[in-house]
Amino acid sequence: MSKEDTHLTDEQLLLSLEGELPARAEKRVRAHLGACWACRARRKELDDTIAGVVRAYQSEFEGKLPPIEGPRALLKARLRQLSSGEKSKGFVLRRLGLTAAGVCGIALLGVFLFRFGIARRSPSQLRELTVSSPDSQLTPGATVLANRWAVCSQANVKNKAVPAVLRQAVFQEYGLQGADLGAYEVDYLVTPALGGADDIHNLWPESYSAEWNAQVKDALEDRLRDLVCDGSLDLGKAQREIATDWIATYKKYFQTDKPLAEHLRRRAP
Amino acid sequence: MSSGFSRSEPLQGLRSKSGGGFRRAQERLEEEVAALFEQFRGPLLRYLANCGMSIPDGEEVIQEVFLSLFQHLQHGKSRENLASWLFRVAHNQAMKRHHQIRRDLEWRAEAAAEEDVADPGPNPEEQVVNNQTQRRVLSVVSAMPEKDRRCLSLRAEGLRYREIAGILDMSLGAVSVSLARSLSRIAGSAQGGENS
Repeated sequence: MSKEDTHLTDEQLLLSLEGELPARAEKRVRAHLGACWACRARRKELDDTIAGVVRAYQSEFEGKLPPIEGPRALLKARLRQLSSGEKSKGFVLRRLGLTAAGVCGIALLGVFLFRFGIARRSPSQLRELTVSSPDSQLTPGATVLANRWAVCSQANVKNKAVPAVLRQAVFQEYGLQGADLGAYEVDYLVTPALGGADDIHNLWPESYSAEWNAQVKDALEDRLRDLVCDGSLDLGKAQREIATDWIATYKKYFQTDKPLAEHLRRRAP
Repeated sequence: MSSGFSRSEPLQGLRSKSGGGFRRAQERLEEEVAALFEQFRGPLLRYLANCGMSIPDGEEVIQEVFLSLFQHLQHGKSRENLASWLFRVAHNQAMKRHHQIRRDLEWRAEAAAEEDVADPGPNPEEQVVNNQTQRRVLSVVSAMPEKDRRCLSLRAEGLRYREIAGILDMSLGAVSVSLARSLSRIAGSAQGGENS
């Protein structure tokens, strides 16, 4: 076998498979492959390996990525916020050509309205609807790709902050624009501490004043997480139960019809 | 990899349009970015997850990437090869969060094992073979150096060698060496498995 007939390297075979070789080099590789069974077999092995890698990548995540609706809604809200920020900067200050004196005048008017309570509605004027359970159409619950090991190896993050734009989107979705927003906690239906997702389908406005309120739900979440992490409750089952009816789940796991007194201690925002 | 992005709307000078025109152009841009999000969120999320990032962290990074894209286009910057741009920005954002990144391939392999027991599927024998092959590939990939893993992941998402080189700041030759090395290892593991 002459030097020219030595076998092709994996890199040469791969570049040829990928169409990344210059024309002359490709011609040489093809000529070699025409004569060399071993290199043809190796080329096929590499091709099969690529197919295996693609299958592994695809099946690893198939059906496991969280639904796109929540992240898409969040992005749209953030884009709209970004656009309106740009618009107000450009439109108010540049396009209308307000002078510095005009801007100062508006600021003074704002201070006046604020001081005399004209611009703000007092909390008593705002309506408050008591919400204890989420609307299952709007908030069916959503989880991330996580198993028991992943959930239990992370710290138990309580009351994870919800981005402001997502909070607004939730209030809008529940028709609470005119309500006293301070009376609600935008809460995760399936808590992130049990693999719940940052997804609008997993968020709802929960009244502080309700008997079945966020503090009571926090106690349930802690209980379920403990059970999941000590292996006595399946993670998927815990997620399903809390997403289906968290109050019934609380009653089941605490063997009570009413929230326990120690869970009702902190009710105010 | 085609971005599928319309190039008909030149955005240079978007800010100089009149009020109504400005608003309409902004809305069109929002729609275009949302359409790109639909197209690329999955591939980007897979790439970030394959780099060891958790799905929620990946979602956050992707939000930032698309907000950056919006600003990039709003300022009339280049629309050439947006797919490559998206992966590059996602990669850079992921690097910034490197301290938060944890390798979760082990627990994903564990998850796959749990699912095998819980849901064997309609054809158990085929399922077992597929799962074994998948686990073998993922286990070899998880043991690879980080750069090789990223090269392979980007190639699996359809990026060409030159694009991968740009994203990972490597030479073209280094990309081909890395991919050849990775595939040789995976192929070798299959032969090892058959022989054992």
